[in-house]
Amino acid sequence: MKKHYVIFAGLVLMGIFYPRMFPGYLSVAITLLLYAGWATSWDILGGWAGQVSLGHASFVGLGAYFVAVGTSHHEIAPWWAVLMALFAASLVAYLWGRLTFKLKGPYFTLSTIAIAEIFRLVAINEGWLTGGATGVFIMTLPEPFGLDLFSRQVNYYLALAFAAITVLVVMLISRSKFGYQLRAVREDEDSAMASGINPTTVKLKAFMLSGALTALGGGIYAIFLSFIEPHIIFYLLLSVQIALTAIIGGRGTIWGPCIGALLVVGSGEIFRTTFAEANMLIYGLLIMVVVIFMPRGIVGEPARYLIRRVYAKRAQS
Amino acid sequence: MMFDYVSFLQNLSNGVLIGGVYALIGVGLTLVFGVMKIINFAHGDFVILGMYCAVLLNSLLGWDPYLSLLVAMPLGFMAGALLQRLVLSRLMEAPPESSLLVTLGLALVIGNILLLTFGAEPKSVNVSYASSTVSLGKVSFSIILLLAGLATMVVIAGLYTVLNHTELGRAIRATADNRLGAELVGINTRWIEAVVFGIGMALAVTAGVVLIPLLFATPTFSGAIFTLKAFVVTVLGGLGNIGAAIAGGLLLGVVEVMGASYLTSDYRDAYGLLVFLLILLLRPEGLFGKTVKRV
Repeated sequence: MKKHYVIFAGLVLMGIFYPRMFPGYLSVAITLLLYAGWATSWDILGGWAGQVSLGHASFVGLGAYFVAVGTSHHEIAPWWAVLMALFAASLVAYLWGRLTFKLKGPYFTLSTIAIAEIFRLVAINEGWLTGGATGVFIMTLPEPFGLDLFSRQVNYYLALAFAAITVLVVMLISRSKFGYQLRAVREDEDSAMASGINPTTVKLKAFMLSGALTALGGGIYAIFLSFIEPHIIFYLLLSVQIALTAIIGGRGTIWGPCIGALLVVGSGEIFRTTFAEANMLIYGLLIMVVVIFMPRGIVGEPARYLIRRVYAKRAQS
Repeated sequence: MMFDYVSFLQNLSNGVLIGGVYALIGVGLTLVFGVMKIINFAHGDFVILGMYCAVLLNSLLGWDPYLSLLVAMPLGFMAGALLQRLVLSRLMEAPPESSLLVTLGLALVIGNILLLTFGAEPKSVNVSYASSTVSLGKVSFSIILLLAGLATMVVIAGLYTVLNHTELGRAIRATADNRLGAELVGINTRWIEAVVFGIGMALAVTAGVVLIPLLFATPTFSGAIFTLKAFVVTVLGGLGNIGAAIAGGLLLGVVEVMGASYLTSDYRDAYGLLVFLLILLLRPEGLFGKTVKRV
């Protein structure tokens, strides 16, 4: 466990100095960090609790809309808007989970798509609340401590903080009682219940945490884009991207979602000119290869191999 | 205000005809689920493949879209069988999510390859009879919708005959009922699965061809919509049950058209989803039977 904290500290340190080394590649890095954060948040529910959601774009949308509508229509400072979004996202996740957690496996996944689609339709059609299909512009933002929130540098550090927070949360969870409860529920709900765990409560907690963290990233995303559209931000493909990033990297691992983000955002950048708008092709090919040949993900497979070797050695001596 | 029977009947007939096409899409999905127990996320993209097949044959050879069924159906069948043998057969032992994720990947690959080949702008086929209608009293029927309904009936009747009156159909039903038992009496279930996936894809492609005079084909966006509609249809009726999928398709068509004309058309796509959620939540055991593990 100690080594994870060392890696974490090293990565954050590298992240802090990154803008000095590659000032021209800030936007890519922001996208990478946002996806790493979202995939890590998704993984709390999808990997550690084993409930595959294809509706997480709803939480990105909630966060983004609270910040955009809050700042441009109601003159609420973005940090208060984000705070409100966190509460709203937890509440939505709570109700959503209450409603659908009795569904198992693929049926839960289908229900998340349906609910997320309904959110998208509401965002498009209820113009008085969301600005409708045309979207919302963020024109002015306050300047806390003289920081220009529109500058790429500030966006970058916000995204870095977001990714770091999510990874830190997962690291804390992985060795906590809650983390073991999550894994117990994922492996077998009946046995978990037999050992005194209430699966619904545990899954609800995971969903609320996952949703709130995703919304936090959504708020930062809105500031980064400074223009949001319901078609993009609530769209099924965003949910798919978030889920696939985590699954490609490795579900239920600390670093899997980050590695996944590095892989998909990195290869998206490399093939940008070849594939142009067909950038989801990479996700499609990667997920097929990963599920067929390394079902635990790119981080999960070697990690499992190493753990098995350690146990084998212990058994020998 | 007097209730307007004419517009009600008009809406009902439109709903039923649209629902017929939804049923055609849903039947393929539900057949694949019934036999292979996998949820095929690429089903909607197979529909889009059918649409582009008709567009391509129309622009290159000037074929009528309905004529291209002769090419699209066998091609769809072979492509489906091949996909099952090469990709999905590797996942029969894996947890149910794996096949969901692989077919999701397949959907993304198909959609984006179409995008690279045909570009992003919507494509359609213009036919001379596109806006003609047949009138029955004060209610009028669009020729295209009637043809779509007719094609649906023919295809589903054909499927019914194959499933219930041939040796192949008996083998398919046996595999769906009990895979191990079917193997014990000498049915090559791996071959049956390839055939079933082929039939499923052929049905989806047919639906695409039938829809092309009616809708525009777009490479990436509409695939997910059709997949979602197919799920709504199959869950309305009950996954794995073909008769119920037909009822589900008709119900979805009527609910959408009625909702759009009597409530608000902004939420046309939401009505089906709401019914879908309600059924999923309120009657899961009745509709899914043995596939849901009850605690």
